[in-house]
Amino acid sequence: MTAAATTNHKPQTKNPLGWFLSEYLGLGLTVLLFLALAPFTPGLATSNNLLNILGYLLPLLIVAIGMTLVMISGGIDLSVTSIIALTSVVGAKLMTGDAGVPTIVGVLTMLALGAGLGALNGAVITLLRLPAFIVTLASMMFLSGFAIWLTQSKSIYGLPGSFLALGQRLPISLALTVVLALAAHLMLRRTVFGRWLYAIGQNATAAHISGVPVRAISTAAYAASGFCAALASVLLTARLETGSPVLGREILLDIIGATVVGGTSLFGGKGKIAWTFFGVLFLTVLDNALNLLSLSQFSITITKGAVILFAAVLDAVRSRFVVRSS
Amino acid sequence: MQPATNNQLQTTNNELLSFRGIEKAFFGVKVLKGVSFTVPAGGMVGLVGENGAGKSTLMNILGGDLQPDAGTITLEGSGYAPLNPQDATRRGIAFIHQELNLFPNLSIAENIFLTRFPRAGVTPFIQRGGMNRRAVDLLREVGLEIPPDRLVETLSAGERQLVEIAKALSIDARLILFDEPTTSLSERETDRLFALISRMRARGITMIYISHTLADVFRLCDDIVVLRDGEVVGSGATKTFTTEKLVSMMVGRTVSQLFPERRSLGKRGDEAEAGFATGAPLLEVNGVSQPGVLRDISFTLRRGEVLGLSGLMGAGRSELARILFGLDPRTAGEVRLNGEQLPRLSPRELIERGVAFLTENRRSEGLCLDASVGDNFTLVTLPQHGRTPLRWLAGASLKSAVERIRAVVKLDAKTSDSQPVRTLSGGNQQKVVLGKWLLRQPRVLMLDEPTRGIDVGARFEIYQLIHQLADQGAGVLVISSDMEELMGLCDRILVMCGGTLVDDLPRAQFDRERILRAALGTNQEAAP
Amino acid sequence: MNRTSRRLLDLAPFLLFVTVLAIFGVQSPKFLESGNLVNIVVQASSTGIVAVGMTFVLLTAGVDLSVGAIMFVAAAVAGKMALAGWPLPIILPVMVAVALMFSACNAFFVTKVRVAAFIVTLATLFIGRGLGLRITETRAMNLPDSFLELGSARWLGVPLPALLFGGVLLVAHLVLTRTPFGRQVFAIGHDVEMAKKAGIRTGRVLAAVYLISGLCAAFAAMVSLGQLGAVSPKFGEQKEFAAIAAAVLGGTSLFGGRGNVFPGTLLGALLIQAIENGLVVVNADPYLYPMITSVVIFISVWLESLRNRTR
Repeated sequence: MTAAATTNHKPQTKNPLGWFLSEYLGLGLTVLLFLALAPFTPGLATSNNLLNILGYLLPLLIVAIGMTLVMISGGIDLSVTSIIALTSVVGAKLMTGDAGVPTIVGVLTMLALGAGLGALNGAVITLLRLPAFIVTLASMMFLSGFAIWLTQSKSIYGLPGSFLALGQRLPISLALTVVLALAAHLMLRRTVFGRWLYAIGQNATAAHISGVPVRAISTAAYAASGFCAALASVLLTARLETGSPVLGREILLDIIGATVVGGTSLFGGKGKIAWTFFGVLFLTVLDNALNLLSLSQFSITITKGAVILFAAVLDAVRSRFVVRSS
Repeated sequence: MQPATNNQLQTTNNELLSFRGIEKAFFGVKVLKGVSFTVPAGGMVGLVGENGAGKSTLMNILGGDLQPDAGTITLEGSGYAPLNPQDATRRGIAFIHQELNLFPNLSIAENIFLTRFPRAGVTPFIQRGGMNRRAVDLLREVGLEIPPDRLVETLSAGERQLVEIAKALSIDARLILFDEPTTSLSERETDRLFALISRMRARGITMIYISHTLADVFRLCDDIVVLRDGEVVGSGATKTFTTEKLVSMMVGRTVSQLFPERRSLGKRGDEAEAGFATGAPLLEVNGVSQPGVLRDISFTLRRGEVLGLSGLMGAGRSELARILFGLDPRTAGEVRLNGEQLPRLSPRELIERGVAFLTENRRSEGLCLDASVGDNFTLVTLPQHGRTPLRWLAGASLKSAVERIRAVVKLDAKTSDSQPVRTLSGGNQQKVVLGKWLLRQPRVLMLDEPTRGIDVGARFEIYQLIHQLADQGAGVLVISSDMEELMGLCDRILVMCGGTLVDDLPRAQFDRERILRAALGTNQEAAP
Repeated sequence: MNRTSRRLLDLAPFLLFVTVLAIFGVQSPKFLESGNLVNIVVQASSTGIVAVGMTFVLLTAGVDLSVGAIMFVAAAVAGKMALAGWPLPIILPVMVAVALMFSACNAFFVTKVRVAAFIVTLATLFIGRGLGLRITETRAMNLPDSFLELGSARWLGVPLPALLFGGVLLVAHLVLTRTPFGRQVFAIGHDVEMAKKAGIRTGRVLAAVYLISGLCAAFAAMVSLGQLGAVSPKFGEQKEFAAIAAAVLGGTSLFGGRGNVFPGTLLGALLIQAIENGLVVVNADPYLYPMITSVVIFISVWLESLRNRTR
């Protein structure tokens, strides 16, 4: 079927509640927020600040893309930030010092490590039939601990310039993110793998009976999530010029929050890369605007919490409305 | 037959419960068409009927799980219109279901007193001593000598049932309803249950007993009410019935008009006998067993054959299909497809070899309810449309596949491809599941209750599709509780009872009563 | 699976605990000295109390991610009040009230709006942490000595934190095993629809469970304040994960309906603390702690799932 036949029901736009049910709610809210805050927020609409927003947004979006894939399959990956930290220090260790490997080898090692750790998560979840929440929680603790042990809690400096360019030249990270987002989007919409992923999240039993290789596909989703985390780690490590064992530690809830705010369901089977982009955009702009309004960290955190709750309530009400109207 | 004139039981002055003109429809299909009968106080009434006759619906109405569209229920002379299960409990009605409603992670006594725990004085604590003592008394009444603090999960099926009865006694139930209580019981447990039932009768408790085991109904009940297609077709004192009479009443003759396709089928039936009986064996099943589920099942499905699998609920029909499709394990037996022995049964490998399986649980196992019609149609055949190394989906071929199959299954034209399947009617949903498998062009198609909850028009179309497929040389295995359907549709019918195959009838020998007797296990010649 | 291995699986949390004690005991005799064992109990109190509340929530097949944030807010309020000169007998009840306000929020959204517990409590986690930061103005607050005195005080020779832990444990154990409410928690955890059908008022029970979790978070905040004597911006951070880990280690199922606070959650909390303490005593690389803890958690969850699968 064509891309027009979407996995999610598009409600009639003539419905008076159409805007409320629309999948572009996230984007609309972002624009509204931006327009509403711009007059009161000095510096929000300046090109410098927009670049700043973009720099912060890209790694977040990359990790959130991986999280979206996992959530569509009905799982969750709490280990992403630990994978970021571990790949950061492993990559930095490899590329620095006298026997430093070339940048390309270092980056590929980081990506392979991330994908491998993700696949390990997935294999444990599907083969031992354990809840994703607890498995990735345990691997979050373990990998983070491993990263800290590996470096004895010290950051690693002296990364090669060719590597630093990856994070500091915006066009490069922008291109990487756009390519990844497009690839993920097309994969979900236009490939067998993507369709299978939705089917598993919607009804794993029906998918199994229909011949979908449920275990392999779920495992692949976790591997993809690990890969995305590693790619984000490349950008973050390069931008901060350090391999840090606590890299990305504070963004886990932002990632889950952004994905859920975008509309991807925690219960699987529903989600889009575009939605996740809107969610990340919304959270980043909000964060940035509140920062510029020189509201302190606490207001930002509170607002984020309120926004996540709001999105969840909206989703609960929305799904009940859709069910009732059908 | 007018129920109103025919269904008065002999006692009317001391009636405990009476149904008057109860009607209920689901999705426009009438399941109960004005059911009326009375249950005398202290009596024991047997309620019999084929699967789908409306027994469960009637009992769900009595239990407050469903509300009738029309009609009234009178309990002890006053109106009774329960809105939820608690209303039924409050009025002293208790249910002993086939699948038990006990919490396995709680103790026996806790299950009995879950919403009415005795408290120790004014403290918030459960008076465990008192509760357990009362539980012991109740358990003794039902003949269970087990400490009341044992967890329910450690009990056997029979013991759990006795706990349910003890729970019923604890609310001083005046009316207890048994729904197929002996299905999962051993012979000894059944005897124990029957002894208990007579003790409860002696105490004046009124009971309704639903069962397919007619011998038990004859043994236990004073009166019998026969339901067929949502109507009471006969009622009276047990002694006025014989097994023969009961079976022919349950089966009935009137429904055959609902199967207009029989005319065309007659011709095809002859053809099948001539041509396909000698057709090549397609699926050969040899000695498939799984302890407690199936015992030594062997049969052959031939090319072009529509093979029916009849039997009562719990006979092992769906279990057999699930094992053949690799969804459940088996301990013994081999399966050959086109003469080639299958080493391992798994859905993926079977689908690759052209086997398809439409399960009985359309919503939980057949469909992704929130996904679109198009996505559901193409779920099985998706890899065929993505053959490039990146498994890129060919949009045009997908679209044309959806269009093609829509036409084949005659999906309602108003339905759009992007509509979530959840929003479709049951009949259209079933067409989607069927279409999903037909797109695979299966050589063996197993259908479990393909027309359950579907209106007549859609049924007709599904039958036609089954015929078309068989005419093209596929083998079709149809599991159905609707005997008329099997007899109208199939070239041959296998009958299962208690996990074994008990009868095998070619089309020329189709006989409702013989099939029903075999399924009930009363067919002595055919039973092992 | 035969009977012996089934029995072994049932005893898994206990066996793990004994094994850990034995390993560290062999490595260093100091580990098994009574002083150190008491230390383990005292250090485990804060996490243990939160884990007791978490056990209630997990038993209903829910989860409460907001406990750490609730601790932070309660502690921040307490710190502010203490610095303003309020006496302890007023501060402590206020902490409880603050925590209950938060968990009432959780309860409302979970039972009335029917949003997934995971999301609701994730959101209140954010809100709580933000609020806490606001109250503390993102600075560490050093509290008057009265708190530290309270933390190291003894009553009949028993350290106060351990006493509170014991009290919470005892009450929770009695509530779960001896009251109608407790038994209904188990019923809901097994199958909430079945419980509703059986006539249990599931909304009330679920709401109560989140309130209990909040209450426990308040007590845990008191214990932590008594031990640290300060409120830092990291106060209570990741406590939710430690609490879930302790409860699951003790054999509580993430899918509801199975578990206990005594001995389960107690053993779980003590086990986590014993590992950490043992690693200190044997002078292990402190960076190994989280890795070893997570491996132990993983093993115990796996054992628990094996145990459930045999049912």
